[in-house]
Amino acid sequence: MNPRWLLVAFLAGIAAPATAQEKKPELRWGTDPTGGAPYVYQDSAGKFIGFEVELASYLAEKIGRIPVMKKGEWSKLPDLLDKSADADEAIDVVLNGYELSESLAKSKAVTIPYYAYRLVLITQQDNAAITTWNDLTVMNPRKKTVGVLTGSVAQAYTQNRFGASIDLASDDDVAKVIGLVRDKRFDATVQDNPAAIYFLKEMPTLKVAGAPRQIGFYVMYLRKSDQELAEALNNAVREGLKDGTLRKIYKKYGLWNDDQEWLCYTQTGTWPSSDDEEVEGVDTGTKVNPWPRMLKELLQAAGMTVLLSVTSFPLAMLIGLMVALGRVYSPRWVSIPLGVYVEVIRGTPLLLQLYTIFYLVPKLGLGIDFTPLEAGIIGLAINYSAYEAENYRAGLLAIPRGQMEAALALGLKPITAIRMVIVPQAVRIVIPPVTNDFIALFKDTSVCSVILITELTRKYNELYNFNRDYIVELAFVTAALYLIMSYPMALLARVLERRMGTTGGGIAR
Amino acid sequence: MIRVTNIVKVHGTNRILDGATLAIPKGEVAALIGPSGGGKSTLLRCINGLEEFQEGEVSISDKLKLTGGVSTSKNDLLQLRRTVGMVFQQFNLFPHMTVLKNVMMGPLYALGKPLAEAESMAKKLLDRVGLGNKLDAKPAQLSGGQQQRVAIARALAVNPAAILFDEPTSALDPRMSAEVMRVIDDLAGDEQFQAAMVIVTHDLASVRRIADTVHVLEQGRVVYSGSAGEAFAQGGPAAALD
Repeated sequence: MNPRWLLVAFLAGIAAPATAQEKKPELRWGTDPTGGAPYVYQDSAGKFIGFEVELASYLAEKIGRIPVMKKGEWSKLPDLLDKSADADEAIDVVLNGYELSESLAKSKAVTIPYYAYRLVLITQQDNAAITTWNDLTVMNPRKKTVGVLTGSVAQAYTQNRFGASIDLASDDDVAKVIGLVRDKRFDATVQDNPAAIYFLKEMPTLKVAGAPRQIGFYVMYLRKSDQELAEALNNAVREGLKDGTLRKIYKKYGLWNDDQEWLCYTQTGTWPSSDDEEVEGVDTGTKVNPWPRMLKELLQAAGMTVLLSVTSFPLAMLIGLMVALGRVYSPRWVSIPLGVYVEVIRGTPLLLQLYTIFYLVPKLGLGIDFTPLEAGIIGLAINYSAYEAENYRAGLLAIPRGQMEAALALGLKPITAIRMVIVPQAVRIVIPPVTNDFIALFKDTSVCSVILITELTRKYNELYNFNRDYIVELAFVTAALYLIMSYPMALLARVLERRMGTTGGGIAR
Repeated sequence: MIRVTNIVKVHGTNRILDGATLAIPKGEVAALIGPSGGGKSTLLRCINGLEEFQEGEVSISDKLKLTGGVSTSKNDLLQLRRTVGMVFQQFNLFPHMTVLKNVMMGPLYALGKPLAEAESMAKKLLDRVGLGNKLDAKPAQLSGGQQQRVAIARALAVNPAAILFDEPTSALDPRMSAEVMRVIDDLAGDEQFQAAMVIVTHDLASVRRIADTVHVLEQGRVVYSGSAGEAFAQGGPAAALD
């Protein structure tokens, strides 16, 4: 046979299975790994494990899809269902300890429960003041501080039942809240039993106070239009409950209990078969030195921080300069709206602006749907443009009137006078405040974590959740990375100031 | 030829110019003198369109006109400014540019000359004002007198039909004033240089030396116009101020 044909046949042989594999659709399931164990967390080798990771794998396999884990901020996961289906950050299903909620079920398709949980009150072993739930009503000698997960049923329950007699503190990060109880900064926390079981094992100085309360259900949310997928997942959950697959997964993480047997009965009409098989505990991987992996991940995240900064700040400077010129040199019908722009942008938080651009703009139906990176760059650029506009306006107003007059007297067009004479001088004047803002923006990139961007601070959060032995070291390394990146900016600014003659009131030589 | 007819400039309730009228023919050096606050600088600024005025008319070479109370088109304003050069009391050099670049700005951006031509024009003019060796210096590296000489070169670089000096030596010490006045003397005595020149100054010795005509401005009106000789003669208005 002609060797060329052999080669073609060989390549076709390689390509055929690959094509078949590519045709299998993905099941993009949204989760927030910072929420941590036992839902989704990393083993010491950096691999994601957790009962929901295994559940997602099981479900995907059952419905003929490839599981793809997509990370997002926990409280914003349902919003990712609203992203256009082909967007990079879009998800097909929220699968991350989401409770059945009437309001959410109105706008989303919802599956049958895959886990029945109860609320657990956790406090310190040596805390004699809290031994039952009712102790939360005792305000003497002071109100107790109780931590909960933001937006959770635990938060609503605790608020309703004990809100008047306690100080309720909430955070998106379960591990952080429980850590604060361990460190005696909070008196107690109310958590779903999966988290409680895991952390009680991890932190032996904690105890359960009173009996678990208020049964609730974890369900999955999907797009309203994805009823077919929801039904397929329902069937997979039922089968998993019936054939013992879910029991095996839950037992591995210590989560199987009577409530799950009851759940099986209510959802399938049959009680689970008798359970006498032994299930091995979680394999958290061979203990390896996590530092090479953590450093690599931190450096990658630092790269994202740099990317966000160096792309958004030039845009902010450009928009800011245009706005400042418009405010100083334009008629009132231009300068007044620009003034309003500055005040609105400067007077609202960056966090809110990022939410608006990333989560709300796609809902306007204009066909605009930004990727997280685009939304981050645009958000930072718009936010900082307001500050830069004020810097430049101050610079423009600081240029003596005679400069403009001299340029006009030469016969230069006003636009040429501004471009050649006024702006170059104004830019020199504002180098110090602009540099200052650049360094501030550099650190403000951390806010972009709320729109799914894994930059340095978010990576630090993720890492310390899974590597609590190294909290101090991780904080130090992260801070050092910020410093290493921002200090050269300060040096560069000083060089520019010297070169452009903005120091000592002198003019460049 | 600069012709100013019955200009009225009002600022709030203050009539800064109150019907000022004068005519300065091509090639003539006219000194505008009078007490401070009389409207001398404002009149210069009205002539090259830096200030708007409410009544009257300014015409340059009978072609370019500014009419009080009427908005001038951007194009006409540009043409007028390219025809009338101005030298300011505070020099107003562009501090971020070299001396050479300062002088090249007019030819390059107002007249649209090619770079090489603009540079050659600028170098010649800087030579003329005695600063051919300071091309690459920044304004801050020059003395006040040198800066004003650069400003004169910059105004001349657009080849104006008229040039206005607004108290060009009042910010300078006597030695530097002399430097600058030497340059203006030189221009005034140059037969080739046919621009009309108007100098607002309190330096009457210089006026006596270089001016062809003297105009006295008081309370916004030209109260005297005549030859320098008459103005400085006994009983003349300049002699009274001297």
